Amino acid sequence: MKKHPLLPLSETMHYILIALQEPLHGYAIMQKIDELSEGAVHLAAGTLYGALDNMAKYDWIEQVGLEGRRKIYHITPEGQRILAVEKARLVHLLSLY
Amino acid sequence: MKKTNWFRINVLKEEQWLNGFLQQGYKITKVTSWRSGFVFEKTSQAYVVRIDCQKAMKKEAFEEYKLMYEDFGWSYLQGSRSSGKHYWQKVSEGQEADQLFSDRQSTKNYYKQLMNYSLMFALPFFVLSCILFQQGTLSPDNMYLTRGLWDMEGSLFWKAFLFETPFALLRLFCPLIVIGSAILSLSAYYEYRKLQQQV
Repeated sequence: MKKHPLLPLSETMHYILIALQEPLHGYAIMQKIDELSEGAVHLAAGTLYGALDNMAKYDWIEQVGLEGRRKIYHITPEGQRILAVEKARLVHLLSLY
Repeated sequence: MKKTNWFRINVLKEEQWLNGFLQQGYKITKVTSWRSGFVFEKTSQAYVVRIDCQKAMKKEAFEEYKLMYEDFGWSYLQGSRSSGKHYWQKVSEGQEADQLFSDRQSTKNYYKQLMNYSLMFALPFFVLSCILFQQGTLSPDNMYLTRGLWDMEGSLFWKAFLFETPFALLRLFCPLIVIGSAILSLSAYYEYRKLQQQV
């Protein structure tokens, strides 16, 4: 099987998929990731916009509503599957330490 | 204060040039629609400008794009859905917060967009240059119109030659702009590519 162009997941993509376990709009995703990473990962506007655009294209996330004019995103079953694949990869790596 | 960007085809050089003024205590208040004229105003705050490069967007995507950048504190100066180039400005908050991109993947992708943009920009100039060469617009025979100039001898030749030279240069001016633009945009392409490979 040909490898997916976004795999293995970058740190940014990883955090976004994890943050989107709950529905959030763009800026709230950045704030959530600040919190989850304890300030280590601070997303810039262009990076977040590009990542959301990309992941929506592959159906890993989807729009589930609007807050004002802001789109609210949520992870899809396909996104959950990708996270599970990545988790297995990382758990295996960790077991080798 | 007004400034015009003439031959800065390289987007990163243009951004640097603009930030040079912002560091002297100015902010941009207007970018003229031809995107080469900038109006500045004195300010007590430190501003930073970034030029983003995006593929043509649908109306909805463009709205989302602008809204997201604005949420991060950027204000939109100039651009349109299909302009490719988008000018963003905000109050400076330190090296890291002043960037549009925060990871390698997106930075690399940004340079790739710039590469595509410069190729698109170069294409018409490149085609025109080829036509100019093919039609011999750049050969001495076509530039110097004095009949029999090249058969003249001695001082007569030099007088006629020097007399005609300013006109020849004038005739050469437009083709030079075309060829110069092609060369500048291709050299920008190679600079972006070098940066992309370094990320």
